[in-house]
Amino acid sequence: MIDSPGLCRELRCLVLATTSRCHSVTPLGGMIVASEIVEDCSSHDPLLDIDSLDSSSGVKSDEYLELQFRVFRLTSLLTFFSVGIAGFLYGIQASASLLFGALSGIFYFRLLARGIGRLGTSSNNIGKVQLLVPVILVLVSSRFPQLDLIPALLGFLLYKPALIIQFLSMP
Amino acid sequence: MDSITTAASVVAAGLAVGLGAIGPGIGQGSAAQGAVEGIARQPEAEGKIRGTLLLSFAFMESLTIYGLVVALVLLFANPFAG
Repeated sequence: MIDSPGLCRELRCLVLATTSRCHSVTPLGGMIVASEIVEDCSSHDPLLDIDSLDSSSGVKSDEYLELQFRVFRLTSLLTFFSVGIAGFLYGIQASASLLFGALSGIFYFRLLARGIGRLGTSSNNIGKVQLLVPVILVLVSSRFPQLDLIPALLGFLLYKPALIIQFLSMP
Repeated sequence: MDSITTAASVVAAGLAVGLGAIGPGIGQGSAAQGAVEGIARQPEAEGKIRGTLLLSFAFMESLTIYGLVVALVLLFANPFAG
């Protein structure tokens, strides 16, 4: 059997690249089955064990989802208080505009998070679809007289204090 | 709205979006490159890297949104229209 870690690594890469069972001829005329060597290599280098990486990826995505959920919860809390204060001080129209903007901000953040979640797995770049959300928000706010532009924009930016709080609370 | 105000608003809207997107675009590109390299080198830290990338992107993209909002206000809710 071959114990060289470098050779094992190269063979692992070769096996992963081709994903097929391959045979190679040794200088002495013997046959080496690559999959058998890979089984021997897994005990030497656990970082190369693909199965262990796959099993831990669920934990990683859980961590990312948990971060999104924390930001969403903070933004919802800020929206609740801001809408209440705006309704108390400036009336129902400003409050409705703030709520509409805050919902747009949450939707924008969700789209951004989805784009970043896809980065490196199913997409090589981050889409710009989320930038349509403020465009639609400004267009709707300027077209409908029931909505005010400034409260809607302030509501849209309510996700930023939540992000700052989240950023400061990160270890 | 007179023609000079309209022309100036349109030029200003274009400049606001165009110039405002240069810096965040470069920053987002280099941040995404670093994140993907980091995930490739250290797959066990993928969750933390993606989370930090999300926060960074949200802050960077807000600069683009500011320029976008200024441009849209100039085009659709111009305060100088009289």
